[in-house]
Amino acid sequence: MNTTEAGLAARQSTGSRTRQAKPFLSTAWKDNMTGYLFMAPSLVLFAVFLFYPLVKSLYLSLCLTDPRGRVAAFVGLDNFTSLFQAEAFWNSLLVTLKFTALTVPSGLFAALLLAALTHGKLRGMPLFRFVFSLPTALSVSTSSVIWMMLFHPTTGTLNYFLTRLGLNPVQWLTDPAWALISVSIMTVWMNIGFQFIVLLSGLQGIADDIFDSARIDGSGPFRTFFQIIMPLLSPTLFFLSVVSIMGAFQSFGQINILTKGGPAGSTEVFVYSIYKEAFVNYQFGTGSAYALVLFAIIMLLTFLQFRFAERKVHYH
Amino acid sequence: MSKKALKQHAALPLAMAGLTIMLAACGNNAGNGNNAASGNNANKPAETTATNANANAAAGDNAATNAASGEQSKEPVKVVWWHSMSGELGKAVTQLVADFNASHPDVQVEEAYQGTYDDSLNKLKASMDSKSGPTLIQVYEIGSKFMIDSKAITPIQDFIDTDNYDISSLEENILGYYTFNGKLYSMPFNTSNPILYYNKDMFKAAGLDPEKPPTTYEEVKNAAKALTKDGKTGASFAIYGWFMEQLFANQGADYLNNGNGRSGTASESLVNSDTGVKTLTWWKDLVDSKVALNLGRKTDDTKKAFLAGQIGMTLDSTAGLRGYVDGAKDKFEVGTGFLPKPEGAQDGGVVVGGASNWIMNNKPVEEQKAAWEFIKYLAQPDVQAKWHINTGYFPITKKAYDEQIVKDNMAAYPQFKTAVDQLHATKLSTATQGAVMGVFPEARQVVESAIESAFSGTDPKKALDGAAKDITAKIDTYNKTTK
Repeated sequence: MNTTEAGLAARQSTGSRTRQAKPFLSTAWKDNMTGYLFMAPSLVLFAVFLFYPLVKSLYLSLCLTDPRGRVAAFVGLDNFTSLFQAEAFWNSLLVTLKFTALTVPSGLFAALLLAALTHGKLRGMPLFRFVFSLPTALSVSTSSVIWMMLFHPTTGTLNYFLTRLGLNPVQWLTDPAWALISVSIMTVWMNIGFQFIVLLSGLQGIADDIFDSARIDGSGPFRTFFQIIMPLLSPTLFFLSVVSIMGAFQSFGQINILTKGGPAGSTEVFVYSIYKEAFVNYQFGTGSAYALVLFAIIMLLTFLQFRFAERKVHYH
Repeated sequence: MSKKALKQHAALPLAMAGLTIMLAACGNNAGNGNNAASGNNANKPAETTATNANANAAAGDNAATNAASGEQSKEPVKVVWWHSMSGELGKAVTQLVADFNASHPDVQVEEAYQGTYDDSLNKLKASMDSKSGPTLIQVYEIGSKFMIDSKAITPIQDFIDTDNYDISSLEENILGYYTFNGKLYSMPFNTSNPILYYNKDMFKAAGLDPEKPPTTYEEVKNAAKALTKDGKTGASFAIYGWFMEQLFANQGADYLNNGNGRSGTASESLVNSDTGVKTLTWWKDLVDSKVALNLGRKTDDTKKAFLAGQIGMTLDSTAGLRGYVDGAKDKFEVGTGFLPKPEGAQDGGVVVGGASNWIMNNKPVEEQKAAWEFIKYLAQPDVQAKWHINTGYFPITKKAYDEQIVKDNMAAYPQFKTAVDQLHATKLSTATQGAVMGVFPEARQVVESAIESAFSGTDPKKALDGAAKDITAKIDTYNKTTK
């Protein structure tokens, strides 16, 4: 608002003194120059690491590459048409959607629950907060190796406890019915640290006097939570849901280590398909086509979220 | 936070999304980065080499005053060797190189570990258009077709011919794998094959003869049935595409058309032939009737279960033999047997696994010749003997078995004999020479996926039909781009 007012004022003033129009423009240019100068480092980085690869990807997606990854032939949109006809493509799309549905809502819910529980100023809470945010400190590969040991069908801890309870052991990663669920459990655990930290700081950002006045007005804990805390926390939740969905669509590390897309393609998410095409078989053409489709999907999803879900968000 | 600001913030995650996409595109660059890093590492040995060279030059000057030849004052030729041997194997490699350098003042080999076979090959692909690559590189057996098609190598046969090098003492079965169109393209270095490991104590407890491992599909099933009791399971074979390839060869059946891709470029996968269906049906039946456990794709997992005494039999490479015998020490006795085959199957045998060394053609002739010197050294009986007993890979030359250290090792670990016997019992044919295709790494994943879907209820024939179709399509694309 301020800038437009200033601009209007400036235009009015130049209107009265038309002769000084030229120096004014150059000042504007100078002003912008400073801006561009500050942006230059990130623009250069974006150009090198984002725009150039994106353009190159677009180009590669129209080509076939030889086993060394060099362009061998221009094939037009063939890569895309064969992609949409491939069963594997639809399978990996479906798996990715399932994976997102399994990890995002449950992860957000669990993180919210933990944040709400540790929000109070009781003794010992810092310890719990520390423990709950710990998964953030572990890399995907480390977490995956830990969970691989837990999931091991014969020597794993999870099956040990199941058999101790008199239950049948579960083939966590080798049964197609369980593999995606197992990977999702691990992913939820892995993501919970970050989500917990963000939600907790969101909670702590709500002023105490709001809680005090709610209490004075006779609001119980549930009512306070759903009618006061939730709306105030909605921007944080919205941010997390956008970021988490993007993250779910880009999951790769845990899948590569735990299941390699198996058994029978039941955990073959999108990015794993890209990896297989591009780096196992050196088909950069089809790999790029996959990648661009993923780009389009994520962009569409994010757009939809901003278009529809953001309306429910209450900004304080 | 204002609405506008949030939208601007959202641009950042969007940009992150873009990052994934570019990953696909800049893989080559990443590879180069790694090379640059490893190049730095490689510089250190280079410095020491340089000091050695100076020392040699000084020695040469002395020699010159004594009216000796100027030859000695020459700097030693530097050879860079990329390999994928880590851990104990890596130590054995370092020792081999040190021994070679000590005995060959005119050639200095620098070894550089480049990660797994896959990683190393990816780095090679990235380095092919520059000078940053190695002089010679160890490549796994299924990378052979790619290496030949890359046109970036000098066939070993060229050196053999100019040198009149005698290869008659090398194992025919091993040479067979790396010979294409009558030419030896690379020199085998570490070779292995799959064997059946079994728990002799469990065999005894189940009333089976611990000295007589099952040899046919039917016998495996019966033994597994007898072994499955008291919470233990008869067998578990990792879902590993390599085993499928080996079980094909063991029945004398080709895995690809055109003589396994050896009489002409392969254009079709035969994984859904009767041999494949019979094998997968047997394997699925073992799992379905609960006498075999499905522990997934990693041989490491079946190995763990085997060493924990939870399963009676498993399949694995001979390269892991030492680990099995040592791991089971004090717990039970490990028996080894041949890879099983269906009753009445034709002559067949196993395909050699492991890796071979390739010489790159973008280096000066002198350097390539130095690399050849090193390769000849590695093939010497005493060197192969050392390599064999330190690792479990078997020697590529028959003469190594005459070495005392090998005899002593066989006495201490009689299990080593099985793999060697199995290698020698193999009759050379296109089936046992092994399939040749450029898309082998991915074809393996496709087959593994088909085995998994069979285990989860799909009809074996249908699962393999799908796999064959996929692999054929991939071969088709590959052939299109390499013409």
